[in-house]
Amino acid sequence: MNAWRRTVALVRKDLLLEWRGRETITTMGGLALLVVLLLGLVLGGEAARAPAILWVALLLAATLGVSRWTQAEVEQQALETLLLYPGSREHLYWGTWAALTLLLMTLLGLLLAALGLLFNIDLWARLPLLLGAGFLGIAGLCAVGTLFAALLVHVRGRELLMPLLLLPVALPVLLGSVRLTEAILSGAPGGGLWLGVLAVFDILFLLVAPVLYAVVMEEA
Amino acid sequence: MRLLPTLLGGAAAVLLAAGLYAGLVASPPDAFQGDYVRIMYVHVPSAFAAYLAVGTVFVTSILYLWRGRALYDHVAHSATELATLFTALALAGGMIWGKPVWGTWWAWDARLVTTAMLFLIFAAALLVRELAEDRQRGARLAAVVGIIGALDVPLIHYSVVWFRTLHQAPSITRGEIKMAPPMVAALLVNLLAFTLVYLYLLLQRVRLERLEAARSAAAEP
Repeated sequence: MNAWRRTVALVRKDLLLEWRGRETITTMGGLALLVVLLLGLVLGGEAARAPAILWVALLLAATLGVSRWTQAEVEQQALETLLLYPGSREHLYWGTWAALTLLLMTLLGLLLAALGLLFNIDLWARLPLLLGAGFLGIAGLCAVGTLFAALLVHVRGRELLMPLLLLPVALPVLLGSVRLTEAILSGAPGGGLWLGVLAVFDILFLLVAPVLYAVVMEEA
Repeated sequence: MRLLPTLLGGAAAVLLAAGLYAGLVASPPDAFQGDYVRIMYVHVPSAFAAYLAVGTVFVTSILYLWRGRALYDHVAHSATELATLFTALALAGGMIWGKPVWGTWWAWDARLVTTAMLFLIFAAALLVRELAEDRQRGARLAAVVGIIGALDVPLIHYSVVWFRTLHQAPSITRGEIKMAPPMVAALLVNLLAFTLVYLYLLLQRVRLERLEAARSAAAEP
């Protein structure tokens, strides 16, 4: 019970800070929208391209948001205080993971709305499925993203390194989410397979990353 | 202790020479690929050595985080460097072979893309180590990246395979290549030679790493 309440308190803190400033979601949303507009313009705006453009935009914006998230913790020295609290550090991981996942789900919602307008796709009927598939991808992305954000706190040039770490590792998320979104939108085959890929990625890294997070957070 | 590197280096040199002979002289040209098949005798072993290095990084990183012995970190660091070296060699060899045989330097082939991703992940692990605030922290963080990267290898590989094959027919279909015994022998000799080269480089690099650690420990008051 205590663990649960600690995690919820952390999520609340992160989201409250974000709500007051709305810096991260604004910059992420701006970048993602730019990527959608640029890719739509240079590649052509056929509806079939929308899933790939959506997920590339989301992934690039995520690298920005994930590194921004812990930077705020370091600048305001909140992390040091959080680490002083007794008890397991895993709650910190789950708190950050949940907050980041919620943040990226918000971004996904905004992007889906933008894509529906820009690519003339009727999303309403499939919205629950799209959000569900999106959650599977985002959960895995945040599983490794949360770990990398903590890892890069004590590394010089962390904003520069985040895309280099996150993008290659998250490649299965990108590929799986693109194909799953395509399957939902156009009934392309292979949806079940990609559901499996995303599920395996999520389970693997949601099991491994919290353990490694504790290692990263230990004072060396 | 000093005898082992010499022996290993000598054996690697002899086997490399034998591999060169087997690959360039003893084995016949391939029925489809002609002489280009000889590139495979270098390309396949370098890819194999790259995967050996990734495996080494995975195991020694876990051991280092678990046990905390500096030796494990020395091995993990050395193997990470060798992983970037051999993935780069495998990529270069694959592209040189691909140009005449496939007609293009780069194909969106699962193995090529996976190798490129591995190169990037392990290069990032080296960057994390170099840019970390201090040596010990760098070692721990690089171990974490190494473990995540190695775990991701099968996921990346299969997702790229399925991503390419489910939607379009493979642009290049390679027929089943039946290999003549001299060709199998050439490949095996080179595989063994590259494995020994890998072990030799690893051993020497770990030695250098220990000397560096000893020096920086001596420099600190």
